[in-house]
Amino acid sequence: MASLRTASAAKLLRTATTSSARPALSSMTAQQRRFKSDTVVEVNKEFARAMPSGGESSVPAVRRPNDNGPDYAAHIDKATSTFTPVPKQVQDGSEDVNVLPAAVLSGAPMELQARTVRIFQPAKPATQSGNWGSHHWRMDWDVLAKGHRWENPLMGWQSSGDMMQGTHMNFKTKEDAVAFAEKQGYEYFVQEPQARKFTPKAYANNFLYTPNKLKHIRTK
Amino acid sequence: MAVTPTQFAKTTAQSANWDVAKRRVLAAYREWIRAAPEIQTMYSIPFPVSVIRTRMREEFERHRFVNKIPVVDVLLMQNNAEYQETMNFWKQTTHVMSYFPEENFRGHERLPKTFMQGFLEGRN
Repeated sequence: MASLRTASAAKLLRTATTSSARPALSSMTAQQRRFKSDTVVEVNKEFARAMPSGGESSVPAVRRPNDNGPDYAAHIDKATSTFTPVPKQVQDGSEDVNVLPAAVLSGAPMELQARTVRIFQPAKPATQSGNWGSHHWRMDWDVLAKGHRWENPLMGWQSSGDMMQGTHMNFKTKEDAVAFAEKQGYEYFVQEPQARKFTPKAYANNFLYTPNKLKHIRTK
Repeated sequence: MAVTPTQFAKTTAQSANWDVAKRRVLAAYREWIRAAPEIQTMYSIPFPVSVIRTRMREEFERHRFVNKIPVVDVLLMQNNAEYQETMNFWKQTTHVMSYFPEENFRGHERLPKTFMQGFLEGRN
């Protein structure tokens, strides 16, 4: 699924029912693929379930023809700078999520909705430290590529105009983090943690009887 | 300009249904439209009244598709705060002028219009 979040998947569905000219699942650009969420299975299911039924009819259909690409006609606000990324979609209160559309009311800069946050569970450190640091889910912001950082001309320090630099937020569960991102209108993607593979082994198992093949071919 | 600041104060209210909400929004819109000439003279805005009215309309159009009544209520409350601040001259000219993007940095060019323009500028 090329979409980053369920709300935009719902929008995708709406346009698909009206125009049905959108190759939704297969065609995505390399950049979008990079930000692909690991947990899109239920989105795909929703998509497949709602497709034959014709989608929701109560919501106002097709307002943005280009739902997953950058919205170049987005409403800009005072905080929009020259290097602000172009948002895919700016919350306007018509989203059919259950939570309050906070971006409509909070007055937060539109730029926040143009940036993609990552929701992940921090990995356990490779040292013998405890795993408390990886028990929560974390949302963080990627650094901006260009324009928001410069070198201080006097001392050579790195300066930044990026308001979210180094910011992260911790959540108890993944669902909390996703709900927060949807409420705030953030683009997000979820990185599932890598599960640790553990196979119990015993030397004695090498000598257990098996009917078919020998476990070890011994040469003497 | 108002004589007493409480002249534009309004009690926060919840709309019972969409009809009430719509009526309140229209009333707020009419208030703004009526106030446009006064805002122009008060803040010495170098635009004709029609431009100011268009900009007011744009602010209302931004929230055209809001589909939750509580959100409309909060927007109305924020709207009235803005109106009160404007009409009581609690704002300064820069605050009003910042609604007009041409007056800000790069004006309408702040976001690229097309993919190619953004690409050539090295933006994403």
